[in-house]
Amino acid sequence: MSSQRLTRRALIAGAGGAALAGPVFGQKLIDLGLPGGPSLRPLDPQFPGKGEMIVQRIRPPLLEAPMEVFRTGTITPNNRMFVRWNWPMPTEVSAAKHRVAVGGAVKAPVALTLDEIASAGETVEIVAINQCAGNGRGLSEPRVTGTQWGNGAMGCAKWTGVRLKDVLAKAGVAEGAKRVRFAGLDVPMTDGAPQFIKSIPIDIAMRDDVLVAWAMNDEPLPILHGFPLRIVVPGWFSTYWVKMLSTIEALSGEDESHYVAETYRWPTVAVKPGDKDFPTVPITAMPPRSFITSHADGATVALGKPLTLEGIAMGGDAGLAKVDLVGDGWEIPCTLGPDEHGPYAFRRWSVTLPSVSGDLTQIGTKAANSNGLTQPGELVWNPSGYARSVIERITLRAQ
Amino acid sequence: MRGVLALLALLCLAGCDASPVVQFKDASITLPDDSDDLPEGPGRQAVIENCTACHSPSTMLQQPGVPRAKWEATVAKMITLYKAPVDPEAVPAIVDYMVAVQARQSDVPRETAR
Repeated sequence: MSSQRLTRRALIAGAGGAALAGPVFGQKLIDLGLPGGPSLRPLDPQFPGKGEMIVQRIRPPLLEAPMEVFRTGTITPNNRMFVRWNWPMPTEVSAAKHRVAVGGAVKAPVALTLDEIASAGETVEIVAINQCAGNGRGLSEPRVTGTQWGNGAMGCAKWTGVRLKDVLAKAGVAEGAKRVRFAGLDVPMTDGAPQFIKSIPIDIAMRDDVLVAWAMNDEPLPILHGFPLRIVVPGWFSTYWVKMLSTIEALSGEDESHYVAETYRWPTVAVKPGDKDFPTVPITAMPPRSFITSHADGATVALGKPLTLEGIAMGGDAGLAKVDLVGDGWEIPCTLGPDEHGPYAFRRWSVTLPSVSGDLTQIGTKAANSNGLTQPGELVWNPSGYARSVIERITLRAQ
Repeated sequence: MRGVLALLALLCLAGCDASPVVQFKDASITLPDDSDDLPEGPGRQAVIENCTACHSPSTMLQQPGVPRAKWEATVAKMITLYKAPVDPEAVPAIVDYMVAVQARQSDVPRETAR
């Protein structure tokens, strides 16, 4: 405890020296490489059911996966999946007492037990990437405020549940319903503050792969990930994947609630810091992204020898089409790993350079999806740091 | 339509009440104590009394350096939007504290080629 305080103080006061306080005070810190800082984050305290995670915030929890989690495989273990809560969540949930109210623009509102949800239709499994809309926000230049994530607010898991449309059918969606809104057991601590409720258009809600899920990688959803049920919208940012689902509400009009109408939105036009009153739309489908996971920025590679780079990539809301290794004026196609889990999952890639002839300066990978969307070379800056998809670059030193 | 989806349908036979697809059990968690702390400085007590009831200090301490006006706007947002019970008279002390803490912050500068 006291060592953490000391470390925190050292971190804030900025001891100045490299890598600072970590080894000195015994607390493990990680440098997220956030331009201008503060960039160091603790790797403790440990949360129940979680492995080593970057602790962005203890209360309510914000836990980020270190990038080493993505060095192998395509499935993120539950104990390394990022955690994000806008408001505090209950720490105890009774399965027998839990109900999901299905109402709003429906023919007959119902309150369903967990067993009734599970038997609402056929059980469906889908592997899909869960990624925070603000993933990578801390890397924005110019910097923006908000949760200062590195790139680890993402993970890929197998989700098991029933189709949302089968649950909606229990109440019967009324003619003309436009959207479906979700609420969970996490509620504001203050009276009158907006609850974290989110809605999706009716055509998305009726998709065959949009789920009310109870399992994550074949285990019951942990409380930190939304026990007993969460929404899964493959290809869309996880802001819509409402956790601890307790209410499903069909809407006959637009959603004017705060987290849809006023935030989690981004500009439809190019903007720069200080701009005001530009048009915005909700942040929804994910763009393609890719990462080099075999080498960290600044790593040393052998001069004159072949070099194999490996990493991970995603197509976003469409399957991954290709990944290219890019440098200053050159591109080399990478070899994609097998399509193990479908269009919404991670895939691995690799590429071998026959011989390293010098430093590899500012190299990165550029993923494209089957809709033709490609990662941009320059950041599409927005004031909330949403939907980062710029080519992520590193420099390797040849020796 | 979504033929490429790896959907695994587990057939639920008519009247399959006897074999539920999943058995739900109660869940609970004990969250770790919040060991996060605020550095010393004028206004620290105002921050403790008005801000950290809702969230850990890291919420503020990890932000990039921003001008005083941004801190004023942020505190105002906490009050008007999130209904934080902040004492209006404490607001200047909170803002002064955050501005001073950020001015002292000199995290490890990172070499980037950009």
